[in-house]
Amino acid sequence: MTQEEGRRYVLARAKERGIAAEVLTEMGRELTARSHQRKLEQITQAVRGGIGVRVVVDGRVGYAYSEELSSAALDWMLQEATDNSSLQAEASGFLPKSTAVTRKDMVGDSLRGSLEAKVQMAIGLEGTIREDPRVKQVLFASYAEREWDVAVTSTEGADGSYRRGIAGLMASMVMAEGESRKQGWDDEWATSVATLEPGRTALEFTERTGRLLGAKPLTTGRYRAYIESKAFGSILAAFTPLWNSKNVVERKSPLADRIGETIASSLVTIVDDPTLPEGLAGRPIDAEGTPGRRTVLVDRGVLRSYLTNSETARALGVENTGHAWRSYRGIVWVAPSNFFMAPGAGVTLSEGVIVAEVLGLHAGTNTVTGDFSVQALGLKVEDGRVAYPVENFAIAGNFLSLLKDITAVGNELKWEYGMRMAYGTPMVEVRELSFAGA
Amino acid sequence: MLAETLVSDVLARAVRGGASFAEVYVERWKRRQLRVLNNDVKEATSGLENGAGVRLFYGTEVAYAYTNDLTHEGLLDVTDNLVRVKGQAGKVDPKGRGGLDFRKTASRGLHDPKVPFEEHPKPYRLERLREADAGARVAPEIRQVESYLQEWEQDVLVANSEGAWVEDRRVRTRLYVNAIAQENGAVQTGTAWEGLSVGLELFDRFPPREVGKRAGGQALTNLRARPAPAGTFPVVIGNAFGGVIFHEALGHLLETTSVAKKASVLSDMLGEEIASPAVTYIDDGTTAHAWGSSEFDDEGAPTRRTVLIERGILKSYMVDRWGSLLTGYKVTGSGRRQDYTFAPTSRMRNTFIAAGETPLDQLFAQVEFGLYTKEMRGGQVKPGSGEYNFGVQEAYLIRNGQIAEPVRGAMLVGKGPETIRRVVAVSSDLSTASGMCGSLSGSIPTEVGQPHVLVSAIVVGGEA
Repeated sequence: MTQEEGRRYVLARAKERGIAAEVLTEMGRELTARSHQRKLEQITQAVRGGIGVRVVVDGRVGYAYSEELSSAALDWMLQEATDNSSLQAEASGFLPKSTAVTRKDMVGDSLRGSLEAKVQMAIGLEGTIREDPRVKQVLFASYAEREWDVAVTSTEGADGSYRRGIAGLMASMVMAEGESRKQGWDDEWATSVATLEPGRTALEFTERTGRLLGAKPLTTGRYRAYIESKAFGSILAAFTPLWNSKNVVERKSPLADRIGETIASSLVTIVDDPTLPEGLAGRPIDAEGTPGRRTVLVDRGVLRSYLTNSETARALGVENTGHAWRSYRGIVWVAPSNFFMAPGAGVTLSEGVIVAEVLGLHAGTNTVTGDFSVQALGLKVEDGRVAYPVENFAIAGNFLSLLKDITAVGNELKWEYGMRMAYGTPMVEVRELSFAGA
Repeated sequence: MLAETLVSDVLARAVRGGASFAEVYVERWKRRQLRVLNNDVKEATSGLENGAGVRLFYGTEVAYAYTNDLTHEGLLDVTDNLVRVKGQAGKVDPKGRGGLDFRKTASRGLHDPKVPFEEHPKPYRLERLREADAGARVAPEIRQVESYLQEWEQDVLVANSEGAWVEDRRVRTRLYVNAIAQENGAVQTGTAWEGLSVGLELFDRFPPREVGKRAGGQALTNLRARPAPAGTFPVVIGNAFGGVIFHEALGHLLETTSVAKKASVLSDMLGEEIASPAVTYIDDGTTAHAWGSSEFDDEGAPTRRTVLIERGILKSYMVDRWGSLLTGYKVTGSGRRQDYTFAPTSRMRNTFIAAGETPLDQLFAQVEFGLYTKEMRGGQVKPGSGEYNFGVQEAYLIRNGQIAEPVRGAMLVGKGPETIRRVVAVSSDLSTASGMCGSLSGSIPTEVGQPHVLVSAIVVGGEA
C-alpha cells in the first residue's frame, strides 16, 4: 500500500477496536555526490520511509513502527503498540485534540537542478580546496540534498502534512605546514541549491582550518574566552536538552522550576522559531500536528519558557509550544526547530583566547548538571589582535555559569544544522573560562 | 529474504551496464526498546525495518542506492537509475548474462542467542529493569533511576557479482542504567551498561541489580568528588571501557577509510614502530557473543582476528573491499555499516590492548601525582591530525602511588601518535565493554577493551 493508504488502514483498524491512535508517516529522499581527485567518487541516491503509531488504551501509551506496508506488518504494528501500552502503570496518557492543517510544500523548485550540475558542485568544492598549497589530502568533498515528506493523522482530528528539503556542501581535508597537521571537517547548508557557493565555501573551509596550523601549546589557566559562532553553536546545541520539557518533567534539567528567574546575562535572548523564513529546520506543524510558532525561551537573561508538547504542557500546566518531535521509528519527544540566540552589538577583541572549534561534546557535556569539559582548538589574542594559534587544551565549566558570564554578543548569526534541527549563534565573549593545557 | 532470481537479475543488470562489481545488501530488523524511570515504564516501542542497498563499483568509483521498496520493480528501478548516473547503460559485458551461480554460505550459529527474540513476555523485561532500578538505590541521595533495555534481531543477506551469497543473523541486547544523586542542591550522575551479542541471557551474565548498583555507586562517588584539576599529568586509564581512548587515538587511524586517502597520520607505516613496545593492539570480529562480533561483515566477508600492532610495530590496517581496491591490502572482514542506508566502510569490531605483565599495584606505584580514570564516557578523533578527546565519568587522584580522593568533570585530550608512544606500562587485567561508534558508515556496535594502562602525560581538562 501507499503511505496514505497505510495511515487510513491503521486508523480504521484502531477505530474498529476502539483504540485512540495517531499515525505518522515519513518519506525521506537523499542524494549525495562525493568528489575525490576532482572526479565523482561516490554517488548515493535513496528513498526510505515508514509508518509509526502511538496508541492510547485506557490512558496507557504504546508505540510501534514498520517500514513494511503490508496489512500483515501493519496489523503486527498495531498489536505490538497495544501490548506495549499495557506495560505502563501511568494511566493519564492522551492524544491531543486537534484539527486539520493545510498541507505545505516547502521544497517547490528549491532543489531543482541537473544531477550533472550537482556533481560539478562537489568537484568544484574539492578543486578550490586543493588550490590551497597547504592542503595535503581531501578525505571527501560532497554535495548533498535531503528531502522529507511528513504526515500526521489521528483519531482525535489531527491531519496535517508538509514537504521540506535542504541542500549542502561538506568536506574534510588534511592541511599541513612544516610539522603541524590539522584536519578540517566542515559543512554548510542552505534552503536551496541556488544559494550554495562551492568556491566561497571552499575558501571558508580552508581558512577556518589553515589558521590553526603552527599551533603552540596553551598554558593552563583562566582566560577571557571569545567563543566563535560555530563553536558556540555546537555547545548550545548540546545543551538544548535543558529547555526540553520532557527533561524538566522528569527532573533531569537544571532549569526545572526556574521560570521567571534570571539564568543568563541580560545580553542573552534565546528563541525557537519554526516559522523563520530563512530557517533550515522550519515546519508548519510539529509531530502531533500542532501548528508551529515562535517561542521566546530566554528574554534578556530571564527564563520565560521551555519547549513543550501536548503531554509535557499538561504535566507542567503551561501552553503547548508545538515542539513535539518524532521520527516514525521513535517515540514522541521534544526538540527544537530553528533554535537561536539573538545577535547583539558586537565583540571587540582585547586579551584572551578565541575558541574556534570544540570537540567531544557527546562525551564531555552533562545535561543533567550543565557541566562541560571539552577539547578545543583556538587562537591566542594579545593586545586586541590574534597573536598565534593554540592547541592541545580543553575548556571546562558549567553552561549556565557561562551564560551568566557573557559580556558581549556578536552581531552576526551563523547556522549549524543536524538531525532536522538548526542552531543559530553569534560569537560570544565570556568573562573568564577555565583552560587546561600544558 | 529475497528471491535468488531477483538478486541475480539486479546484479546482472548492473554488470551489463558496465559495473566492474555489483553487490546487493538486504536486511530486516526487529527492534524493541523499553525505558523505565523510577520503576515506571516511560516508553515501550517495537519496530520492523527492512530495506536494501545496491552498490556498484566502476573501477574505484562507487555508486550506491538504497530503498525499502523490495519489489522486483523497485529494485531494478534503483539499479537502472545508478547505471544511468554512470552514463554507461547499454554497454554489454559478457559476464552480465545473468543466471549467476551463487556459492551460498550460511552462518554456523557461533553467536546465536540462547534465549530467542520472541521468548519471555514483556512484563518479564519490565521486572528485570525494576531490579536494575532497585540495585541503583544504594543510598537515600539517589533520587532518580532510569534504565533502558534495547533488543535487536538483524537478518542480513549479502550477494555480489562474484557469486558470493551470505546470510547472517545478529542478535544483540543491551542494558543501560543512569542514576542521579542529589544533595543540598548539588546533582551528579552515574551510568553503567552492558551489551553482548546474545538474547535476554544477558541478565544471567550481568544481573541487572549489579549493573544498577554500579550506576548508583558512581553517582554517589561523583557527588562527593571535587572538580578535576587542569593541566598535564600521568594518567592510569581503567580497564574495560577505558579502551575507548585507544579506539579513538589509534583504532580510527588504522581504518582504510582514512588510510587509503593518506588522510590518517598513520598511513604508509606498515612494519614501523608506531607505539610503545608495551602495546599490542588487536581487532577481533570472531569472539563468541562479543558486542561487535558477527560471522560475516556487511560485505559478506568472514570476520577474523586482526593483529594491528604487535609490541609497538604496525602489522595491519583494517581493510574493507573498497579500501583493498585502493591500497592493495587484503580485506580483513572489516566492512561494516549501520544499516542499509549506508555503504560499508572499514570499521572496528572488538578492539583491545592485549594483556601486559605489570602487576596493577606497580602501575600505580610509578605515579607520584596523577589521575586514575576508572570509567570513561565516549570520545572523538580527527585521523588527519591525530587529535583526540575523551570524557571521563569516574576518576580519582593518584597521590604517592595510591588511589586518593574522587574528582569529576575531567576530559582527556591529546594527539594519538604521541599518546601511544607514552604508554609506560600495561597491566594484565584485560576486560572489555560495549559501545556505539559513529563514523562515515553510521553508528555501529563496537567493543573496546584493555587492561589498566599507564600513560606518562595527557592533558587533563578540569578546573583551572
